[in-house]
Amino acid sequence: MFKKLCEKSFPKSLWVYHCNVGACNGCDIEVIDVLTPYYDAERFGIKLVASPRHADVLLVCGPVTRQVVPALKRLYEAVPDPKLVIAIGSCAVGGGIWFDSYNIVGGADTILPVDYYIPGCPPRPEAILHGVAVALGLAEKEIESVHLKQLLDRPESVPVEVESLYS
Amino acid sequence: MNAQQLGENIKQRFAAKVIDFETLGSDQLYVTITPDSLVEVAEHLYQDQGCRYVINGGTDRRQQRDAFLITHFFAQDEEKIYIAVHTEVGADDPQVDSITPVIPAANWSERETRDMVGVVPVGHPDPRRLVLSDDWPEDLYPLRYDVAHDVHPPPAEGVAPERLEPPEGASVVPIGPFFPVLEEPAYFRVFVEGEQVVGADYRGFYSHRGIEKLGCSVLTYNQVPFIAERICGICGYVHSCSYCQAAERAAGIEVPDRAEYIRTIMLELERLESHTLWLGIAGHIIGFDTVLMQTWRMREPLMWLCEQITGNRKTYGMNLVGGVRRDIKPEIYGDLRGVIDKIGDEWAELAEAIPGDSTLMARLQGTGILTPEVARARGAAGPTARGSGLAIDVRVDHPYAAYDRVEVNKCVYDSCDNRARARVRLGGTIDSINIIHQALDDMPDGPIMAEIDEELPAGRQAMSAVEAPRGEVFHWVLTGAENRPERWRVRAPTYANLQCVPPMLVGNALADVPISIGSYDPCFSCTERMEVVDVNSGQVRVYTEEQFRAEYDQPGAK
Ligand code: SF4
Repeated sequence: MFKKLCEKSFPKSLWVYHCNVGACNGCDIEVIDVLTPYYDAERFGIKLVASPRHADVLLVCGPVTRQVVPALKRLYEAVPDPKLVIAIGSCAVGGGIWFDSYNIVGGADTILPVDYYIPGCPPRPEAILHGVAVALGLAEKEIESVHLKQLLDRPESVPVEVESLYS
Repeated sequence: MNAQQLGENIKQRFAAKVIDFETLGSDQLYVTITPDSLVEVAEHLYQDQGCRYVINGGTDRRQQRDAFLITHFFAQDEEKIYIAVHTEVGADDPQVDSITPVIPAANWSERETRDMVGVVPVGHPDPRRLVLSDDWPEDLYPLRYDVAHDVHPPPAEGVAPERLEPPEGASVVPIGPFFPVLEEPAYFRVFVEGEQVVGADYRGFYSHRGIEKLGCSVLTYNQVPFIAERICGICGYVHSCSYCQAAERAAGIEVPDRAEYIRTIMLELERLESHTLWLGIAGHIIGFDTVLMQTWRMREPLMWLCEQITGNRKTYGMNLVGGVRRDIKPEIYGDLRGVIDKIGDEWAELAEAIPGDSTLMARLQGTGILTPEVARARGAAGPTARGSGLAIDVRVDHPYAAYDRVEVNKCVYDSCDNRARARVRLGGTIDSINIIHQALDDMPDGPIMAEIDEELPAGRQAMSAVEAPRGEVFHWVLTGAENRPERWRVRAPTYANLQCVPPMLVGNALADVPISIGSYDPCFSCTERMEVVDVNSGQVRVYTEEQFRAEYDQPGAK
């Protein structure tokens, strides 16, 4: 069903907006790599745009840090519907090696609905291309989804005594 | 002069104020002084001994000594010495004199120590929050031993960054926090009058991931290189290398020769990768996408080569304490030389074409001026410093790995503008290729890992620096119990270089702002605040959102 929707909503070219929400840069560099001559994503009509308001797809890289949350929410709202969110890299997929650090909220899906996950640290350019091609309905998905067991309980937004946070 | 003599000099001059000093080899000096003499000693090192300020770090030692340890790091580049100035402050009254009034470069790191360890720098011109999120509770300090690495205070509502009022008469051009030119989040608000920049503010630290805490609380010695490499996805190898060298030095581990050569080669390959990447991005920033496409095309075979050597295109996972995990097999020397020579040829063409391109030069020449005085006062490193005529390069000044056995050429230019910084990198790339060839020529045979005991001894310390593509990366390791560092302090070059940005922007045309920022090759994931340049006095102050608002909401505020 979703695939059909995609085919209908994004029949020609995908415009993507890339955001780094606390990544180490490794994933971001590979995203750019995909757009340069060897991988040349533009041949599939994929174009990196400078404003979220022009975008069909949001590419999220990195573990979501505490500081980034409000900005990321606003960014998501700025992308016009219908939109896709693709999480790129192990960090965006589930928090990566930082998943339980004090300043990390988690993977991108703790804040946004994520449609596609492309794991890897960093994912190879081929993997990124494949992921986007799957989203476009140009390629088939190759693995089943797995539920991540690392999910954590995070406190709600209620005031607590700072003292109680010391062990 | 070696470390021992410098220590004696300091002891002689400050007598009883110097509690103790020790050395590690002839190039590392650790001085412990009384808290009341900190400013004097720091000023003496900085002014009279010609030392360069590196960074400040705080350690919670309440488990051992009922005190916090505050350490300021300096480098004396001519004498090839690194100096750590330790001072202990009582746990019941965590305060220490600020040295920022005499050494401006200490500004950020003293505040970081306050945020992370809770030791207040008294007399700091701007003692406000720097690293932690605005909704982080006031008196919770993540680097204290009794705060868990996975503590998650509930988010507070209503502290989302607010729009700030521009100075009177100026307009605001916001850039970020997500923007397509640089890959990382950072939020600049540039204040302009017409086309002229009159000030700027910066909110960073969006990428703060709590790496030092993880390294000192849950990881073991050999897991840290893995996470150190992910401090930065462009120059990660320098971090794992620097960490490993510090740990090895502290534990007295001799690294086999061959491993040192392999590290040297990998470091230079990473520099090649980073410089080609930078040139592409710089081209993109000034709207010359051909440069981006060309340099990234040149760079791609290098990525494949690294994959062939290490198994991954980036984040190589090559280093461990004691050596490297993978050999560079003689079979691939040929491929390696082929790839770098090809880059060298193409790069030489580019390096010739670029100065001849008048449009490009017009964008680079005379823009983004950083004077040598500001560069030194703010602790600039690497190509940023070398573009301002400061001849510092860790590979020459404090040789590590196999750099004492190869010839390294410091590329120094003194025109202080964006062009100078570009030329440093253009020249540095050719130099890297030469270094790799030299290293391959003399590479000795032998093991690549040292034999080491299960546990490293506790209570030892060592410093280590590596010249990253962006400048000096500095690590300090204090070994601890449970097979992990008690404290691991990291300074990335952008931490220092970014502090030079606001004074440099003032007076430029707005259109030159992106390339001026880009010319530093900033790497926010290593660094991560908000700065305001006072329009009238040119003074830089750093604010939290709330204080900012308070200040700028007042009628008649600057
Ligand atoms: S997945 Fe790996 S490469 Fe990507 S941001 Fe995370 S640590 Fe960096």
